[in-house]
Amino acid sequence: MKAGSVRRWLAAPSFRALLALAFVVAIGCAFNADGAFFRWGTHRDMLRQVSVYGILGCGMTLVIISGGIDLSVGSVVGLCAVLFARQTLHEGQAAPAALAVVLGAGTAIGLLSGALVARFRVQAFVATLAMMVFARGLAKWVSGGQKISQAIQHPDGTFTYVDLPAVFQRLDHRILGGNLSVVTLVFLGCVLLSWVVLEKLRYGRYLYATGGNEEAARLSGVPVARAKLLAYGLSGLFAAVAGVCQAAQEQQGDPEAGSTYELTAIAIAVIGGNTLSGGRGGIGLTLLGALTIGYLEKVLSINAVGESSRLMLTGAIIIAAVLLQRRKAG
Amino acid sequence: MHKAIPAALLLGALILPAAAAGPKHGDKWIIGMSQCNLGEPWRVQMNADIRRAAEAHPGLEVVFKDAQNDTLRQRSQIEEFIDADVDLLVVSPKEAAPLTPPVAAAYRRGIPVIVLDRKVLGDEFTQFIGADNQRIGRAAGEWAVRRLLSLPQVRAGGRARIVELTGLMTSTPGQDRLAGFHAALRGQPVDIIFSADTQWLEPRAREEMESALAVNPRIDLVYAHNDPAAHGAYLAAKAAEREKDIIFVGIDGLPQEGQVYVRQGLLAASFEYPTGGREAVETALRILHGESVPKRVTLNSRFFTMENVGGGGEWLP
Repeated sequence: MKAGSVRRWLAAPSFRALLALAFVVAIGCAFNADGAFFRWGTHRDMLRQVSVYGILGCGMTLVIISGGIDLSVGSVVGLCAVLFARQTLHEGQAAPAALAVVLGAGTAIGLLSGALVARFRVQAFVATLAMMVFARGLAKWVSGGQKISQAIQHPDGTFTYVDLPAVFQRLDHRILGGNLSVVTLVFLGCVLLSWVVLEKLRYGRYLYATGGNEEAARLSGVPVARAKLLAYGLSGLFAAVAGVCQAAQEQQGDPEAGSTYELTAIAIAVIGGNTLSGGRGGIGLTLLGALTIGYLEKVLSINAVGESSRLMLTGAIIIAAVLLQRRKAG
Repeated sequence: MHKAIPAALLLGALILPAAAAGPKHGDKWIIGMSQCNLGEPWRVQMNADIRRAAEAHPGLEVVFKDAQNDTLRQRSQIEEFIDADVDLLVVSPKEAAPLTPPVAAAYRRGIPVIVLDRKVLGDEFTQFIGADNQRIGRAAGEWAVRRLLSLPQVRAGGRARIVELTGLMTSTPGQDRLAGFHAALRGQPVDIIFSADTQWLEPRAREEMESALAVNPRIDLVYAHNDPAAHGAYLAAKAAEREKDIIFVGIDGLPQEGQVYVRQGLLAASFEYPTGGREAVETALRILHGESVPKRVTLNSRFFTMENVGGGGEWLP
């Protein structure tokens, strides 16, 4: 290998994202909580914890590459969690039908955001901020402000109890001899789907072109509006998937579920090296970003770091990880 | 001009007894209820308790407002109730200091005010109704110690190992539930081996419990400052197939939450933190009918275990 290609490789975004991840893992090795960090269970749990964020991160990546942002995903998680719980627990609907309703609802919200941004030229920040508030309200309305659980309350204050449908257990389950959570597989599935969209489909190129220079893309015949609709629609779909995973793991639908998750999803995309200005990046970076955030939380948690120090350390380490990326780029 | 003053006084003298005798608007008493945050299930329950208690009295109408966890919004909602001249005000304030002036303003205007759960400063209100988090925490601690002392490994001279999953530690309920629990543990053969701030959030509790399980091969009991956190911890232990070795204790005891978890055998005990909603409506009726009421009422609370949950729980000793 020539020196030039080594330098180019060192400067590649994926290498820099890997470096940030290695930095956090190194902290984990140094502060391993009496060896807890070296056991697979810790890593398996980290992968489970980061899955819902990661699923949101996939949709966020598509939107960010198209030059936008989607602040509504956290609220859509809450909405879809209560919808899924209501359809399965209270309405007794079969899992496939309930999934169709919930994924349809999430996609519809995403497409609505997309239409506001693409057709009505509302700024993405504003359109999805409005959608964030609206979807949270919808979640509270659908659920009557209460968590939707196995206990169904009647108007006279008495309760009936329903069994947990099998789909909940199936999603909050481990496979491969208890070594991998199903929700982690769902996350990896979303990563794969995003990769196909971005790398294999024509629309993937349209997304990059739209985010890179919207006017130039439009002039060269890229269907900019449809590309944006696709990005926001998929973001809504992924948020619905995340909501279902959230409900399965909590065994209930919480109308407050997912609040501030949009910020974590953005952090995951950005720490991986996707740029907020759009047109660049990739889903592999988001995967690395998710692992970085996941390990960071896990290392602080197994060491039982106090809340105030934890917040300060999280901020400091994120900055360090981002700066580390930049230095290698120069 | 000065002729108007005695007229106003006379009018006031006429209105005041009238206000004690009957509603100001129409034939129903209007009660304004200012709730600080309906994002919490416990507060949703408080409103539901108020609504249910009020429905039993056809002469009452309750108007609910939700401040969405915003102090200034709650302040203006209280002011709206004052402007609407409600017959009585129920306030569950977000914070003491900033909400004291509007509550006092209502009280000075002659609107009786019942303050629920969290306090305001001074004494310009009609009645404060609240529960005692320290007492509940201590009761949970005493119950936990009794259970732990009967474990074989503790009877053999070992020390019991507790994981504490706290609420938001910048909030007074979190601080009090911790202080009460720790007071009960003093001098007992128990150690708190892992503690984390869950900020009252179930997903956070599950993550923290996974860490506690990863670091500690033996955990005897989990004390969580609310039932959702206890539930999250249970789910983490279940995933690690260790839920049978651990006693889970939570606080709040809501009918559709903690009591259900106890019924299902997930939690060994849940300690009720009563909402006071029903009591507030009872007090409101007494005030509206001209009775005088005590300034402060501390609610008694129940606890629920597998044995007593069917019969509606047991009052704290």
